[in-house]
Amino acid sequence: MRLKKHESDPEIPTSSMADIAFLLIVYFMVTATFAATRGLDFALPKDDDNPPIVEKEDSVLIQIEPTGQLNVDKEPPMHVDEGFALKLFDYLKPKLEANPKKPVIIRSEPNAPYRYMVEVFDALRKIKIKTSADGLEREVYTVSLADIQAAAEQDPPTDLGKDVNVSIPTQREIDSFWF
Amino acid sequence: MRLKARHQAGAVIPTASMADIAFLLIVFFMVTITFEKDKTQVALPKTDLRFEIPKIVAYISITDAGQIKATNGEEMSTTLAAEDVVTFAANVVTRYPKRPIVLKADGEVPYEKVDKIIDSLKQAKVELIYLLSDAREIEDGG
Repeated sequence: MRLKKHESDPEIPTSSMADIAFLLIVYFMVTATFAATRGLDFALPKDDDNPPIVEKEDSVLIQIEPTGQLNVDKEPPMHVDEGFALKLFDYLKPKLEANPKKPVIIRSEPNAPYRYMVEVFDALRKIKIKTSADGLEREVYTVSLADIQAAAEQDPPTDLGKDVNVSIPTQREIDSFWF
Repeated sequence: MRLKARHQAGAVIPTASMADIAFLLIVFFMVTITFEKDKTQVALPKTDLRFEIPKIVAYISITDAGQIKATNGEEMSTTLAAEDVVTFAANVVTRYPKRPIVLKADGEVPYEKVDKIIDSLKQAKVELIYLLSDAREIEDGG
Protein backbone atom coordinates (compact mmCIF):
# COMPACT_ATOMS: atom_id res chain seq x y z
CA MET A 1 0.00 0.00 0.00
CA ARG A 2 1.32 3.35 -0.91
CA LEU A 3 1.42 5.80 1.96
CA LYS A 4 0.27 9.30 1.27
CA LYS A 5 2.86 11.83 2.35
CA HIS A 6 1.85 15.23 3.56
CA GLU A 7 4.06 17.57 1.56
CA SER A 8 4.31 21.18 2.63
CA ASP A 9 5.55 23.84 0.19
CA PRO A 10 9.16 24.82 0.85
CA GLU A 11 9.42 28.41 2.04
CA ILE A 12 11.93 30.72 3.67
CA PRO A 13 10.84 31.77 7.14
CA THR A 14 10.49 35.53 6.98
CA SER A 15 8.59 36.22 10.15
CA SER A 16 11.70 37.49 11.96
CA MET A 17 12.95 39.59 9.05
CA ALA A 18 11.41 42.82 10.36
CA ASP A 19 13.03 42.22 13.75
CA ILE A 20 16.43 41.70 12.11
CA ALA A 21 15.92 44.79 9.98
CA PHE A 22 15.14 46.93 12.99
CA LEU A 23 18.13 45.54 14.84
CA LEU A 24 20.33 46.56 11.91
CA ILE A 25 18.78 50.03 11.90
CA VAL A 26 19.48 50.44 15.60
CA TYR A 27 23.08 49.30 15.01
CA PHE A 28 23.61 51.84 12.22
CA MET A 29 21.98 54.63 14.18
CA VAL A 30 24.15 53.97 17.22
CA THR A 31 27.41 53.67 15.29
CA ALA A 32 26.78 56.50 12.82
CA THR A 33 28.97 59.51 13.45
CA PHE A 34 28.26 62.88 12.01
CA ALA A 35 31.69 63.68 10.73
CA ALA A 36 32.83 67.30 10.76
CA THR A 37 34.38 67.07 7.35
CA ARG A 38 34.60 70.72 6.52
CA GLY A 39 37.30 73.25 6.89
CA LEU A 40 39.51 75.84 5.27
CA ASP A 41 41.75 74.85 2.41
CA PHE A 42 45.26 76.19 2.56
CA ALA A 43 47.64 75.88 -0.37
CA LEU A 44 51.15 75.44 0.94
CA PRO A 45 53.85 77.24 -0.96
CA LYS A 46 56.50 74.97 -2.39
CA ASP A 47 59.48 74.47 -0.10
CA ASP A 48 61.75 76.47 -2.33
CA ASP A 49 65.44 76.86 -1.59
CA ASN A 50 65.37 80.31 -3.14
CA PRO A 51 61.97 81.78 -2.31
CA PRO A 52 61.14 85.32 -3.41
CA ILE A 53 62.20 87.68 -0.68
CA VAL A 54 59.34 89.77 0.62
CA GLU A 55 60.41 92.78 2.58
CA LYS A 56 58.42 93.26 5.73
CA GLU A 57 57.79 96.85 4.66
CA ASP A 58 56.12 95.70 1.42
CA SER A 59 53.62 93.52 3.19
CA VAL A 60 51.02 93.69 5.92
CA LEU A 61 52.18 91.88 9.03
CA ILE A 62 49.61 90.49 11.44
CA GLN A 63 51.17 89.35 14.68
CA ILE A 64 49.06 87.23 16.99
CA GLU A 65 49.82 87.45 20.69
CA PRO A 66 49.03 84.63 23.15
CA THR A 67 46.24 86.77 24.62
CA GLY A 68 44.49 87.03 21.25
CA GLN A 69 45.70 90.55 20.66
CA LEU A 70 46.46 91.33 17.03
CA ASN A 71 49.18 93.77 16.13
CA VAL A 72 48.62 94.78 12.53
CA ASP A 73 51.55 96.86 11.32
CA LYS A 74 51.56 100.02 13.41
CA GLU A 75 47.77 100.09 13.92
CA PRO A 76 46.21 100.17 17.38
CA PRO A 77 45.90 96.60 18.69
CA MET A 78 42.79 94.58 17.88
CA HIS A 79 41.51 91.47 19.62
CA VAL A 80 40.42 88.22 17.99
CA ASP A 81 37.42 87.83 20.28
CA GLU A 82 36.17 91.40 19.77
CA GLY A 83 34.99 91.78 16.20
CA PHE A 84 38.41 92.33 14.66
CA ALA A 85 37.35 91.27 11.15
CA LEU A 86 35.71 94.58 10.24
CA LYS A 87 38.62 96.65 11.56
CA LEU A 88 41.08 94.45 9.68
CA PHE A 89 39.05 94.77 6.49
CA ASP A 90 38.89 98.57 6.83
CA TYR A 91 42.67 98.67 7.22
CA LEU A 92 43.40 96.32 4.32
CA LYS A 93 40.86 97.71 1.82
CA PRO A 94 42.81 100.75 0.57
CA LYS A 95 46.05 98.78 0.53
CA LEU A 96 44.56 95.97 -1.56
CA GLU A 97 42.86 98.46 -3.89
CA ALA A 98 46.28 99.95 -4.55
CA ASN A 99 48.05 96.59 -4.79
CA PRO A 100 45.84 93.45 -5.02
CA LYS A 101 48.89 91.21 -4.69
CA LYS A 102 50.06 92.77 -1.46
CA PRO A 103 51.21 89.91 0.80
CA VAL A 104 49.50 89.64 4.14
CA ILE A 105 51.66 87.70 6.55
CA ILE A 106 50.21 85.98 9.60
CA ARG A 107 52.72 85.39 12.32
CA SER A 108 51.55 83.74 15.48
CA GLU A 109 53.51 83.66 18.73
CA PRO A 110 54.59 80.09 19.60
CA ASN A 111 52.39 79.90 22.69
CA ALA A 112 49.31 81.55 21.16
CA PRO A 113 46.36 79.17 20.78
CA TYR A 114 46.03 77.77 17.26
CA ARG A 115 42.43 78.92 16.94
CA TYR A 116 43.50 82.58 16.75
CA MET A 117 45.49 81.90 13.60
CA VAL A 118 42.56 80.02 12.05
CA GLU A 119 40.15 82.84 12.88
CA VAL A 120 42.44 85.46 11.34
CA PHE A 121 42.92 83.26 8.26
CA ASP A 122 39.13 82.82 8.04
CA ALA A 123 38.62 86.60 8.14
CA LEU A 124 41.20 87.10 5.38
CA ARG A 125 39.68 84.37 3.20
CA LYS A 126 36.38 86.25 3.23
CA ILE A 127 37.99 89.24 1.54
CA LYS A 128 37.80 89.22 -2.26
CA ILE A 129 39.41 91.53 -4.79
CA LYS A 130 37.65 92.12 -8.07
CA THR A 131 39.46 93.93 -10.84
CA SER A 132 37.61 95.57 -13.74
CA ALA A 133 38.19 94.32 -17.29
CA ASP A 134 40.50 97.23 -18.09
CA GLY A 135 42.40 96.58 -14.87
CA LEU A 136 42.00 100.15 -13.67
CA GLU A 137 39.36 99.77 -11.00
CA ARG A 138 39.36 97.38 -8.09
CA GLU A 139 36.67 96.44 -5.69
CA VAL A 140 37.62 94.97 -2.34
CA TYR A 141 34.72 93.42 -0.46
CA THR A 142 33.82 90.57 1.87
CA VAL A 143 31.77 87.49 1.06
CA SER A 144 29.96 84.92 3.17
CA LEU A 145 29.91 81.16 2.78
CA ALA A 146 26.42 81.48 1.24
CA ASP A 147 27.79 83.89 -1.40
CA ILE A 148 30.58 81.45 -2.29
CA GLN A 149 28.19 78.51 -2.51
CA ALA A 150 25.70 80.49 -4.62
CA ALA A 151 28.48 81.59 -6.98
CA ALA A 152 29.72 78.02 -7.35
CA GLU A 153 26.23 76.78 -8.23
CA GLN A 154 25.92 79.16 -11.19
CA ASP A 155 26.65 77.81 -14.64
CA PRO A 156 29.29 78.97 -15.38
CA PRO A 157 30.38 79.68 -11.78
CA THR A 158 30.38 83.37 -10.94
CA ASP A 159 33.82 84.84 -10.44
CA LEU A 160 33.84 86.50 -7.04
CA GLY A 161 37.35 87.77 -7.46
CA LYS A 162 40.79 86.90 -6.20
CA ASP A 163 41.73 85.94 -2.66
CA VAL A 164 44.09 87.95 -0.55
CA ASN A 165 47.70 86.82 -0.90
CA VAL A 166 47.99 85.30 2.57
CA SER A 167 51.28 83.89 3.74
CA ILE A 168 51.77 81.91 6.95
CA PRO A 169 55.51 81.39 7.25
CA THR A 170 56.75 78.79 9.68
CA GLN A 171 59.25 79.63 12.39
CA ARG A 172 62.00 77.88 10.41
CA GLU A 173 61.27 80.06 7.37
CA ILE A 174 61.20 83.20 9.49
CA ASP A 175 64.54 82.30 11.07
CA SER A 176 66.04 81.44 7.68
CA PHE A 177 64.90 84.34 5.57
CA TRP A 178 64.17 87.31 7.79
CA PHE A 179 66.75 87.23 10.51
CA MET B 1 -37.01 47.52 19.39
CA ARG B 2 -33.56 46.46 20.23
CA LEU B 3 -31.01 47.50 17.68
CA LYS B 4 -28.62 44.96 16.43
CA ALA B 5 -25.12 45.52 17.74
CA ARG B 6 -22.87 47.13 15.18
CA HIS B 7 -19.92 45.26 13.91
CA GLN B 8 -16.98 47.29 15.18
CA ALA B 9 -13.58 46.71 13.64
CA GLY B 10 -10.75 46.80 16.16
CA ALA B 11 -8.24 49.62 15.81
CA VAL B 12 -5.22 48.25 14.02
CA ILE B 13 -1.99 49.93 13.02
CA PRO B 14 -1.10 48.79 9.51
CA THR B 15 2.28 47.15 9.79
CA ALA B 16 2.48 45.42 6.46
CA SER B 17 4.89 47.96 5.00
CA MET B 18 7.04 48.22 8.11
CA ALA B 19 9.64 45.75 6.86
CA ASP B 20 9.92 47.68 3.58
CA ILE B 21 10.47 50.92 5.43
CA ALA B 22 13.01 49.25 7.69
CA PHE B 23 14.96 47.93 4.72
CA LEU B 24 14.86 51.32 3.03
CA LEU B 25 16.35 52.84 6.17
CA ILE B 26 19.03 50.16 6.24
CA VAL B 27 19.94 50.87 2.62
CA PHE B 28 20.11 54.59 3.41
CA PHE B 29 22.45 54.04 6.36
CA MET B 30 24.61 51.60 4.41
CA VAL B 31 25.02 54.04 1.53
CA THR B 32 25.72 57.10 3.66
CA ILE B 33 27.84 55.59 6.39
CA THR B 34 31.50 56.50 6.39
CA PHE B 35 33.94 54.72 8.61
CA GLU B 36 36.13 57.43 10.02
CA LYS B 37 39.77 56.55 10.09
CA ASP B 38 40.48 59.16 12.71
CA LYS B 39 38.35 59.35 15.80
CA THR B 40 40.52 61.70 17.82
CA GLN B 41 38.39 63.96 19.95
CA VAL B 42 39.40 67.60 19.61
CA ALA B 43 37.68 70.95 20.09
CA LEU B 44 38.10 72.38 16.61
CA PRO B 45 38.51 76.10 15.97
CA LYS B 46 35.41 77.83 14.68
CA THR B 47 35.19 79.52 11.30
CA ASP B 48 32.54 81.11 9.09
CA LEU B 49 33.93 79.69 5.86
CA ARG B 50 33.92 75.89 5.75
CA PHE B 51 34.46 74.02 2.53
CA GLU B 52 33.64 70.40 1.85
CA ILE B 53 36.62 68.11 2.32
CA PRO B 54 37.04 65.08 0.02
CA LYS B 55 35.91 61.79 1.57
CA ILE B 56 39.24 60.01 1.39
CA VAL B 57 41.95 62.07 3.01
CA ALA B 58 44.94 61.63 5.27
CA TYR B 59 44.56 63.05 8.76
CA ILE B 60 47.02 64.54 11.18
CA SER B 61 45.41 65.23 14.53
CA ILE B 62 46.81 67.18 17.45
CA THR B 63 45.03 66.85 20.77
CA ASP B 64 44.92 69.56 23.43
CA ALA B 65 47.63 67.58 25.26
CA GLY B 66 49.85 67.86 22.19
CA GLN B 67 49.59 64.21 21.17
CA ILE B 68 49.90 63.67 17.42
CA LYS B 69 47.96 60.99 15.60
CA ALA B 70 48.03 60.32 11.89
CA THR B 71 46.44 58.12 9.26
CA ASN B 72 47.00 57.95 5.53
CA GLY B 73 43.29 57.35 5.05
CA GLU B 74 43.60 53.57 4.72
CA GLU B 75 44.20 52.43 8.29
CA MET B 76 43.02 53.72 11.64
CA SER B 77 45.06 56.59 13.03
CA THR B 78 48.05 55.83 15.22
CA THR B 79 50.22 57.94 17.49
CA LEU B 80 53.13 59.59 15.78
CA ALA B 81 56.20 61.45 17.05
CA ALA B 82 56.55 65.04 15.81
CA GLU B 83 59.84 64.24 14.08
CA ASP B 84 58.18 61.43 12.10
CA VAL B 85 55.58 63.68 10.47
CA VAL B 86 57.89 64.49 7.52
CA THR B 87 58.33 60.79 6.74
CA PHE B 88 54.63 60.13 7.16
CA ALA B 89 53.65 63.03 4.87
CA ALA B 90 56.30 62.09 2.28
CA ASN B 91 54.85 58.55 2.19
CA VAL B 92 51.35 59.92 1.64
CA VAL B 93 52.59 62.19 -1.17
CA THR B 94 54.45 59.31 -2.83
CA ARG B 95 51.72 56.68 -2.54
CA TYR B 96 48.65 58.89 -2.96
CA PRO B 97 49.78 62.05 -4.80
CA LYS B 98 46.28 63.51 -5.09
CA ARG B 99 45.24 62.83 -1.51
CA PRO B 100 44.90 65.98 0.60
CA ILE B 101 46.09 66.08 4.18
CA VAL B 102 43.69 67.36 6.79
CA LEU B 103 45.02 69.05 9.88
CA LYS B 104 42.67 68.34 12.76
CA ALA B 105 44.10 70.30 15.65
CA ASP B 106 42.53 71.35 18.90
CA GLY B 107 41.90 75.09 18.96
CA GLU B 108 43.76 75.55 22.22
CA VAL B 109 46.96 73.82 21.09
CA PRO B 110 49.96 76.19 21.26
CA TYR B 111 50.68 77.39 17.75
CA GLU B 112 54.28 76.17 17.84
CA LYS B 113 53.06 72.55 17.66
CA VAL B 114 50.96 73.31 14.58
CA ASP B 115 53.82 75.34 13.11
CA LYS B 116 56.13 72.31 13.30
CA ILE B 117 53.54 70.13 11.57
CA ILE B 118 52.98 72.67 8.78
CA ASP B 119 56.74 73.00 8.36
CA SER B 120 57.06 69.21 8.09
CA LEU B 121 54.30 69.15 5.48
CA LYS B 122 56.08 71.83 3.46
CA GLN B 123 59.30 69.85 3.62
CA ALA B 124 57.43 66.75 2.43
CA LYS B 125 56.23 68.76 -0.63
CA VAL B 126 52.57 68.64 0.39
CA GLU B 127 50.74 71.19 -1.73
CA LEU B 128 47.27 71.39 -0.22
CA ILE B 129 46.07 70.96 3.31
CA TYR B 130 42.73 71.52 4.97
CA LEU B 131 42.41 73.09 8.39
CA LEU B 132 39.45 71.26 9.89
CA SER B 133 37.01 73.57 11.63
CA ASP B 134 33.59 73.71 13.21
CA ALA B 135 30.86 76.13 12.21
CA ARG B 136 30.80 79.35 14.16
CA GLU B 137 27.49 79.79 15.90
CA ILE B 138 25.58 82.88 14.86
CA GLU B 139 25.66 85.26 17.76
CA ASP B 140 22.50 87.00 18.82
CA GLY B 141 22.55 90.56 17.67
CA GLY B 142 20.26 91.65 20.52
